[in-house]
Amino acid sequence: MGSVRQVASKPPGARLGIRLTPWAFLIIPLVFYAIFFLVPLLQSVVISLTDWDGVRQVRNFVGLANYARMLTDPLVRVALGHNLIWILVGTASPIIISLGLGMLLWPSTRGSNLFQAAYFMPQILSTVVVAAIWSKVYHPLIGLLNKALEAAGLGHLTLGWLGSMQWALPAVLIAAIWAYFGFTLVVILAGLQTVDVDLLDAASIDGANGLQRFWNVILPQLGPVLTMITAYTLIGGFNVFDIVWVMTAGGPANATDVLSTVLYKRAFMEDHVAYGTSLALMLTALSLIASGLFIYFREKGTER
Amino acid sequence: MSRPPAHATPRRSPGRLARRGLTAAAKYTILMLVLLATLGPVLWVYTTAFRSDAEIMQDPLGLPHEWRLENFSEAWKVGKFDRYFVNSVIIAVPVVSLVVGLSALGGYALARFRFRGNRFVFMLFLVGLMVPFQAVMIPLYFDLRDWGILSTYWAVILPGIGLGLPFGIFLMRAFFIGLPAELGDSAKVDGCNEFQVFWKVMLPLTVPAASALGIFQFMWTWNSFLMPMLYLQREQLRTLPLGVMLFSGRYSTQYGLLFAGVTIATLPVVIAYVLLQRRITAGLTAGAVKG
Repeated sequence: MGSVRQVASKPPGARLGIRLTPWAFLIIPLVFYAIFFLVPLLQSVVISLTDWDGVRQVRNFVGLANYARMLTDPLVRVALGHNLIWILVGTASPIIISLGLGMLLWPSTRGSNLFQAAYFMPQILSTVVVAAIWSKVYHPLIGLLNKALEAAGLGHLTLGWLGSMQWALPAVLIAAIWAYFGFTLVVILAGLQTVDVDLLDAASIDGANGLQRFWNVILPQLGPVLTMITAYTLIGGFNVFDIVWVMTAGGPANATDVLSTVLYKRAFMEDHVAYGTSLALMLTALSLIASGLFIYFREKGTER
Repeated sequence: MSRPPAHATPRRSPGRLARRGLTAAAKYTILMLVLLATLGPVLWVYTTAFRSDAEIMQDPLGLPHEWRLENFSEAWKVGKFDRYFVNSVIIAVPVVSLVVGLSALGGYALARFRFRGNRFVFMLFLVGLMVPFQAVMIPLYFDLRDWGILSTYWAVILPGIGLGLPFGIFLMRAFFIGLPAELGDSAKVDGCNEFQVFWKVMLPLTVPAASALGIFQFMWTWNSFLMPMLYLQREQLRTLPLGVMLFSGRYSTQYGLLFAGVTIATLPVVIAYVLLQRRITAGLTAGAVKG
């Protein structure tokens, strides 16, 4: 870039400079993102097509053998079932709870901010802490839950909740919902701020009762917000790991194993690295498909 | 709501008032019950932390007969929470500041400039928003090992930045799109180049969005579990969540000590939340509505 030419109007060098400007802003973020996300993602695809164990140098190409192995892995089937329960219950219940509480707190209730703040509080605790608290709530001897049952005269129902084949999964799920519903509530309340109040008044003048107003006037207007949190929660439901791992590590006897805990065990505890990687990609694909389908059907539904 | 609701004044029979009082009572009963379910477990842990094991075994529900502080000093001593706390800070500070800074840069470029590849780059970052950490965690483990930084602070700082960028760029781009472009244009007329426009005009305006992003990123980094568990396998590098897990495994039957440890680990965050609560939920709302 000669200094003489730069004075003249719009030299080619300056135009190149303008074209490169956005990349000057983007280059460092892109490099970080590529090294720590994009490249490992591609590596995952490659590894999942081999028989690598993470220890040896050699990797043999095995095609889709790892993916075929999932179909016959009984633990995968069990875990997938738990993920589906987790997704159905773990997506529906926080949203239903939040819609109910949202209708109580909206449009204005004395102390609304205080309630909202309190309900949101578990959201700031790390999952490990949530797990530690609830492990004690479910404790067979000193647990809050058993003691409350005894105090209510229901002593015969007390149980070692996390050690029970039947109750461990619901128990962990309840702890997760406890920690999560404050988030959906705050988002739904934010969505309620945009609901057209005049439309609501018009509906009540026309004689719509509370339920009709909720179903026909409020809910449709909350559509975009509900789509967003449902998609977000669906993704979370497929890759849930922390709370299960800390509370039960998948036990007792696989009663709480989900895809993430199975892939962790396969990849890092049994050295089936390639197989674990293929499980991780399957989990990714499932969560993308599920949330993609959900958004697609919702948009199709609102077109009418 | 400029005009009064249609039903407010005319029909106010005593029966209607009574019914309204009843619904209000029912409403607050439900709200209080949920409040109890939300705060109850935490308060139970906090109060039980002051009690002796014998007392807890005898009656786990009651309040302490005498408020013992020994549990806390003992938990602090054996729990090494100071070490874990320092580790968490060492990791969170660079991750949060770089994610916010780099997201501002990238989000600004994607919002302000029209160039070939803009949409492609944005889509690339969107992929990262939807793909879970599990999809990259295994190769990343071996990459970090090969680079010789596994089980160093770098092993969670560097990936933490890279994986925080999709959300950050998404949020900051939405924010910059909302700013009027004329702001930058008039500064350019005054002789600023693009970097000066960004630095002098735009950056000061991003404070609300950047602080919301900072709060989120801090919470995620501070509470993150799987990544540090995998990539920090030396005990003296462990972060607070890993420390809590280790501690509650090791002292699982010394209830008073255990509860005191959980209290120590959570109290700073809870206090920070009480002080910053309005800002946290406001930031969340802004992010959600924009997104």
